[in-house]
Amino acid sequence: MKVRTTQLFTSYLLLLLLLAAEFGVARLPLGEAARGLVLIPALMMVGIVAMGFMELGKAPQTARFFALAGAVWLAILLGLGCLDPMTRVLYPTQSTAVY
Amino acid sequence: MSEAVGGHAFQYSSARHQAESAVSGMWLFLATEMMFFGPLFLAWIFCRHADPAAFDAGARQTDLFIGTINTALLITSSLSYSFGVAFIETGRRRAMILCLVIAWLLGGAFLMLKFAVEWPHDFERGLFPGAEFVFTPAERNGAQLFFVFYFFSTAIHGMHLVVGLGLVAWIMLRAREFTPSRNTAVFVVGLYWSFVDMVWIILYPLIYLIGRGP
Repeated sequence: MKVRTTQLFTSYLLLLLLLAAEFGVARLPLGEAARGLVLIPALMMVGIVAMGFMELGKAPQTARFFALAGAVWLAILLGLGCLDPMTRVLYPTQSTAVY
Repeated sequence: MSEAVGGHAFQYSSARHQAESAVSGMWLFLATEMMFFGPLFLAWIFCRHADPAAFDAGARQTDLFIGTINTALLITSSLSYSFGVAFIETGRRRAMILCLVIAWLLGGAFLMLKFAVEWPHDFERGLFPGAEFVFTPAERNGAQLFFVFYFFSTAIHGMHLVVGLGLVAWIMLRAREFTPSRNTAVFVVGLYWSFVDMVWIILYPLIYLIGRGP
């Protein structure tokens, strides 16, 4: 119980520190392209919740496989989904709409 | 059929096999939940990319104070529930119930702040997309996309939290049944509870932080 208590409080402290870091990074004068950096502490927090609170490291092999599969499919969904807006060039055209 | 054989249902080879199947089943469900929330995050990328300046103008109108307090509430709630799991594993049922009550109250406080304080305040300020929307024509489209995302994502997350509150209440009502060797249900509900926390950890920067550059 003592080991688990230490683990839980360490995870909690790290989560609060990362929350503060996330808050601080959001205040930095980052360029438009770098605003996504704010998500790095958030992703680290997700990892800490998974390992510290949900004990994913000690979970059965099938459970770890399902968690990994979910993360991989999410990465594929977001990765392929982002390709269009990130690579498309929008050329200005004259509006032909009739109001 | 739920006939118990030697401390486990007949279709499992052992009690451990049954517990591992329950944990794996919950993780499989959570993987489908990741797929459920994935398109919502993709929608955020698409909508912000369409008009970043107007989208961020919408984000700057959100209540950062309540959003940050709510994040801390959910993290603390997850911690409390995890302590509940640790306590029942060592046979301390009363301590487990106390931790679950705290987790439940913190989850309830999140819902109160979100839907009884923040949302009504947003409605009063004309932030709900529609005829009364407060933004100028130049920012209107992008800000509307932001607030559609904001109201939809927080509503979906809130619904998940309500389900979580029901599950935690169900565990508390059945607390007498759990022992150090029989507590899989407590752990499995904890997985769901922490997952709801995870979703909010991602939504928090998307809603409150990224659009708030200096």
